[in-house]
Amino acid sequence: MHTLETHPFAALFGIDESVAAQALSEAMCRGAEFVDLYFQYVRTASLSLEDGIISSANTGIDQGVGIRAVIGDQVGYAFSESLEADAIYKAARTAAAIAEGTKNMPPQNLQGRETDNYYAIDRDWDEVNITERLPLVQSAEAMTRAMDPSIEKASVGWMDRDERVLIVTSDGVFSMDRRPMATLYCSVTANKNGVRQSNGASVSRREGIDYFTEENIREVCQKAVDRTMILFEAQRPPAGEMPVVLASGASGILLHEAIGHGLEADFNRKGTSIYATMMNEKVAPDFVTIVDDGLQENDRGALNVDDEGQATACTTLIENGVLKSYLHDRISAKHYGVSPTGSGRRESFRHVPMPRMRSTYMLDGPHSRDEIIRAVDYGIIADTFTNGQVQIGAGDFTFYIKNGWLIEGGKITAPIKDVNIIGNGPEALKNVVMAAGDAVLDDGSWTCGKNGQGVPVSMGVPTMLVEKSMTVGGVN
Amino acid sequence: MERELLQQAEQAIEQARRAGANDAIARVRDENSTEYTYRDGNIEQVQQSATRGLSIQLYVNGRYSTHQTSDLRAASVARFVEDAVALTQHLSEDPHRVIPDAALYEDRPDTDLQSDDAVVRDLPREACIDWLKKMDAITHIDDRVVSATSGAYYGWNTSARVSSNGFSGIQSGTSIGYGASVTLKEGEHGRPEDHRYVRAHHLSDLPDPETVAREGLDRAISRLGSEKAPSERATMVVDPEAGGRLIGAIWGALQARSIQQNRSFLADKKDAQIASSLLTVTDDPLMVRGLASRHYDGEGISTKHRCVVDQGVLQMYYVDTYYGRKLGWEPTTGMSSNLVFAPGEKDLNGLVSGIKDGFHVTSWLGGNADTTTGDFSYGFRGFRIANGQKTGAVSEMNIAGNFLDLLQNLVAVGNDPNVYSSMQTPTLVFDNVAFSGK
Repeated sequence: MHTLETHPFAALFGIDESVAAQALSEAMCRGAEFVDLYFQYVRTASLSLEDGIISSANTGIDQGVGIRAVIGDQVGYAFSESLEADAIYKAARTAAAIAEGTKNMPPQNLQGRETDNYYAIDRDWDEVNITERLPLVQSAEAMTRAMDPSIEKASVGWMDRDERVLIVTSDGVFSMDRRPMATLYCSVTANKNGVRQSNGASVSRREGIDYFTEENIREVCQKAVDRTMILFEAQRPPAGEMPVVLASGASGILLHEAIGHGLEADFNRKGTSIYATMMNEKVAPDFVTIVDDGLQENDRGALNVDDEGQATACTTLIENGVLKSYLHDRISAKHYGVSPTGSGRRESFRHVPMPRMRSTYMLDGPHSRDEIIRAVDYGIIADTFTNGQVQIGAGDFTFYIKNGWLIEGGKITAPIKDVNIIGNGPEALKNVVMAAGDAVLDDGSWTCGKNGQGVPVSMGVPTMLVEKSMTVGGVN
Repeated sequence: MERELLQQAEQAIEQARRAGANDAIARVRDENSTEYTYRDGNIEQVQQSATRGLSIQLYVNGRYSTHQTSDLRAASVARFVEDAVALTQHLSEDPHRVIPDAALYEDRPDTDLQSDDAVVRDLPREACIDWLKKMDAITHIDDRVVSATSGAYYGWNTSARVSSNGFSGIQSGTSIGYGASVTLKEGEHGRPEDHRYVRAHHLSDLPDPETVAREGLDRAISRLGSEKAPSERATMVVDPEAGGRLIGAIWGALQARSIQQNRSFLADKKDAQIASSLLTVTDDPLMVRGLASRHYDGEGISTKHRCVVDQGVLQMYYVDTYYGRKLGWEPTTGMSSNLVFAPGEKDLNGLVSGIKDGFHVTSWLGGNADTTTGDFSYGFRGFRIANGQKTGAVSEMNIAGNFLDLLQNLVAVGNDPNVYSSMQTPTLVFDNVAFSGK
């Protein structure tokens, strides 16, 4: 096991145990109950290819330390981009001012927390030359263009990120994590008889460059092309309430919006979530089990350690239809007297951590996809999505369907497009009447926003049916 | 401070040139802010930020790239710029990537935009806490309140921009905002919520905190008993605070990039009647105290007042140097500033009183639009309007349509712009909108 002195991350940030201890002590000096230091170093590289040319390339370095002092549920927060000891101490004293007393923190030996690695990659992105990335983007563009003669424009975006964090807490533990992320985005505009349609697809995972094989690149490009071509035949569906089938995969956006956010414990300890008074109640049929999981290997939502230095976990939110747990950060876990769930996340060292989702998905149900489609006399099946939103207290949520189909007489018929769906979380859960055995995680580049902070997440569901209760934003 | 930022930018340009860049643009920004949140009788969070960053655009042998760093130690920056230039050498040549024409930097306006308020820079902590306590007290006068959070934010920023072809500029300003969000209890589990926040450059341009908090509470109370109404085609009254989302989506189709990439439903529509004659919009970067006011845009191009839509006829696109060259068009400006709408005769209430059957949209929930086709679908909440009266609150409803149809169906414009936004949308009234509900 490394001590802080010997750990390579500590060298990267240029801090030793005495600086860390002094910073903790400064942040504690007004009487805080808990303090953490969040050191972060991020390198990013991105490329975009348009009209056959790399139209822009970008690199970035972002580094700094965020210091938090906690007393009860009150938080003082400050950060410094400079990692000079004096700048760190100054930020620590600013954060300390949330408390109004005095306290001397006894000196302590910092112990390193060992964690498993859910996203080991062969080569860190830091070691990959720009000339190795260029052919990936260029091949994606060439493949896409070749897929259909009606394609007028194909553009490809690339982003990789090499993030290192070192978290030191006043309970004497330090944790570190190196988090890769790579995203490939392909977008297409096609023209048929003067009518234009555009769409896109992406893959985003905690992977290294070896993941981007021709086969994996082709899959994203093919999705982008297929999703564009079907738009030429797509219509707007009728307006109003109707049964909605959620295709397996990205339809997990329903769980994210309708349930996940409402179960973030900060909203519940404040009493502002519609789920605040539903713990241990039956909220869905028996076959519904929903988890939020940080342990999915190489998944966009995976975390070895959360941004408060807690080991991450797979948290069961709803088990056999019964509401079992919220998603906790340190403050809410203390408030409720439960173990943290490893869900404390933040966008960067400039931001305070909050309970956040990781990879939210529903386990397989007892039905088959065919059974589900056959059960719908008139409704829609939703397949691809762009975005969603929720009002935590009212429980009203939305998600935007980019591609889907009508279901008529138990059969999938005409394609549909551009439909906002709006529903109510607890109502939708009650109305989940069927779920198939084909659960899969979507690996699109989903970013969840909360209080102005974005964090990477993923989501998934088996094919499932929500009985008539949600409103389909069509035309009449 | 200004001198220091300019020097940092100049130095980065010098380093880029020495490393082999033909041209470079550097920007150094410095931002400070303090944010308080106060919830149910206690300070919940105090957050202080002081941040500085360098970004640089490089033109190297016909190749182009951009870079940014927050590690501003001299040795780190030197290495960073050197690496960036070396990386750029590996890219392919792009004939359209050239530094903006220096002629566009000329005639930079020097009017006083009044973007800076000394009061904000000297704001004492006690004043902020005092507002928060007042807002917290007002938002708790109703015993249905479960929780209410008041927030206040203030800060200032300065940014220096220098280019290798003769541009040098400094922009700075203060900002301040506050507001409250309120959650009520309704029935066993329901927690209807709403909020009111305001922001400006100057403290004196904001309504007092008590008024803002009261509006936040009243809005939350007005959400009680909300219901889903039946689907129908009806008139839509878009609140001044909600208009920005629609206008923003439409304005995305006016970007040269959207047009050049064949992703704009407004391509080939210049000089065409894209909206009813009631729509006249100007882009005014020189508005005194405007939230998006500036003397030069993101490319250093000197700003000026421009007419975007005149009585429904489209007058311009937002053209930057790069996509302008790809299209063979002269640059205008790459991004919108303050949008000002020619006002009608009435305010929101006056307009509602003339409507027989419709909905007043107060805010959107989710939804999206396709810039290529103009198709949109948005969730919303608001109120039912029947015979000139706002009746019950509605929720869980959507609208859907196409922007080209929607804009032609604009039947009234209010005289009540949202001055707390750079998109100063007034009340907008559209006929024959598809609403979906139960």
